[in-house]
Amino acid sequence: MTVAVAESGSPSDALVQVRDLRTRLGAKLIFDGLELAVPRGSVTAIMGPSGTGKTTLLRHLTGQLRPDAGSVRVDGEEVTTLSRRALFGLRERIGYLFQNSALLTDFSVFENVAFPLRQHARLPEELLRNIVLTKLQAVGLRGAARLMPSELSGGMARRVALARAIVFDPMLILYDEPFVGLDPIALNQVLRLIRTLNRTLGITSILVAHELAAIRQVADSVCLIANGKLVAQGAPDELVHQDSPWTRQFFGGDADGPVPFHYPAPDYATELGFAGARP
Amino acid sequence: MNANLRRNWLVQGIASVGDCGLFFVAVLGALPKSLRYWRETCRQVWFVGAMSLVIVMTCGLFVGMVMALQLYYTLSIFGGTAALGTVVALSLFRELGPVITALLVAGRAGTAVTAEIGLMRATDQLDAMGMMAVDPLAYVASPRFLAGLIAMPLLASVFNAMGIFGGHLVGVTWLGLDNGTFWGNMTSTVSLHKDILDGLYKSIVFGGVVSLIAVFQGYTAPPTSEGVAYSTTRTVVFSSIVILAFDFVMTAFMT
Amino acid sequence: MNPRPSYAIGTGLFILLGFAALAYLATQTTSVANIHSGDSYTVKARFQNIGQLKARAPVKIAGVRIGDVQSIRLEPQRMDALVVLSIDKQYNDIPDDSSAAIFTSGLLGDQYVGIEPGGSPTFLKSGDELVLTQSAMSIENLIGKFMVNGGPKSSSASSAPASGDAPASGKP
Repeated sequence: MTVAVAESGSPSDALVQVRDLRTRLGAKLIFDGLELAVPRGSVTAIMGPSGTGKTTLLRHLTGQLRPDAGSVRVDGEEVTTLSRRALFGLRERIGYLFQNSALLTDFSVFENVAFPLRQHARLPEELLRNIVLTKLQAVGLRGAARLMPSELSGGMARRVALARAIVFDPMLILYDEPFVGLDPIALNQVLRLIRTLNRTLGITSILVAHELAAIRQVADSVCLIANGKLVAQGAPDELVHQDSPWTRQFFGGDADGPVPFHYPAPDYATELGFAGARP
Repeated sequence: MNANLRRNWLVQGIASVGDCGLFFVAVLGALPKSLRYWRETCRQVWFVGAMSLVIVMTCGLFVGMVMALQLYYTLSIFGGTAALGTVVALSLFRELGPVITALLVAGRAGTAVTAEIGLMRATDQLDAMGMMAVDPLAYVASPRFLAGLIAMPLLASVFNAMGIFGGHLVGVTWLGLDNGTFWGNMTSTVSLHKDILDGLYKSIVFGGVVSLIAVFQGYTAPPTSEGVAYSTTRTVVFSSIVILAFDFVMTAFMT
Repeated sequence: MNPRPSYAIGTGLFILLGFAALAYLATQTTSVANIHSGDSYTVKARFQNIGQLKARAPVKIAGVRIGDVQSIRLEPQRMDALVVLSIDKQYNDIPDDSSAAIFTSGLLGDQYVGIEPGGSPTFLKSGDELVLTQSAMSIENLIGKFMVNGGPKSSSASSAPASGDAPASGKP
């Protein structure tokens, strides 16, 4: 398995290409000239301290949110300027796994997975049934087809959501925090699915996660984002041993460093009133 | 400070009315697309309409009965109890039927719609639909709006029929008014055009207003549990105010 | 696989019920459609003045409703009101010399047609006309009659201020 690193890949074989992305949400500057490239067929993990806008980045990739400036290209299409119709066309080729699965509560597991098919393809009921059951079999939940989302555990719901995300055989899957809140068994099941989908079907995957151990097992490359910029990129094992303040703090888990422990505040002594008392 | 706060309040109130108006336009724009999801509309008619039948029928019956009792007393002062059927029918058709039905639907179905959409927003279901290339406006908002438009006049008609039945029960069966007089005076006075159809127009407008407010509040609910709870309350409050205000305006125009 | 037929049936039933209620209101509580529980026959009657009589007002004998007013129109040649009464078939033994009058139920109530049975051995048939009729009593007429019959007293009273007025206006 070759390690794909953005610097070595030319833009033509990058499925996702982000250039000079700038976004401001409210008063907070989220992205300040972010550059990112995700090669076709790779598994790329996006990591970073909480609040750096990893989920926002995913929303930029799908056009749910438009950036203030910069370019986002997915499969050669400029997402930031696509019309609504073209955007919907692009989204049919992208699977998105939401952090809380986002299954439609009114429908059974079967109908949830069938939902995109029913909306976009007029298939005979027999064929639709076969496709849905194939996808459910792939995530190991064919037997749960008749259950309602409220009857599923967190791990099962995430696998159903994954089955729904791959029902159209997408070229790209975006995973938003796929490992959060899973017990070790469920985590490994999801991990295995991500790897299988990538290795057997060649689906490009971008995942936002914090679990370094899990990411080391599955990701080809890791992008570390902080302060609205890409601060480090490389294979997980490489990056862990890289000697930059960002990687040292992030992978070493230091409380203080480039990401400060203290939220920005005026001088401590001044705020307590000692500074003024001094002659 | 206080004046500043109040101005902020006012500005925000106006802004939210504007938001609601823009949302209304967006829902109307999504209507043609939502025809593809007629099955969802049908499900919503079932939810808003059929599920509200019991409460609407019960309330209609009691309102008719109370009206007959009260008006019998009032009319007997003037020796005009023969007009009981007329007065009950006219009050129901022109005023009480559309208004009370709309208030009941706002309380029963409107709150449920707001809470449902608010939770769909909070659990990313609306975003998930967008990601599956299904427009949530067309799939979630418009069918519920349409369902309110369809269900409200039908519910109001059921309410009126039950009200007449209740009025007849009290007036004729219990208070011993002549059956022929009750119906005869009613049928000779009530006009299809001025009374029944005007009431129907009112309830169609109320249906649109109630479901628009419910869907809008759900759609813009903050994705937290307090947010959804607060929006649900606002659905009832705003619906009630707007129903009564619209009722006054429409009555003024129709008479 | 039929997607959830339960609510489809529920929705259908609800819509049908709603329209049934609307149809009930439109036909049973208004004068759009005539409600005849059974067959009926029509009889004509002419009145000089029908007062406030309206279509669908009741027709009664001895206070019992036997039918209703089907239509009212002006007969242009004779300048009187032609009222068509629709009478229930079961009351087919009304003497043909009966008279019709317009009464008011109560002080403020609606007006109705009352039929006073005569003594003829032959009965009314469909299309017959009631010859003897009495117009509606209008309060204005009653008061007018009272004023006229009140005679000299009231007329002298009314002429007195008039005569007193004339010199006053002629003075300047």
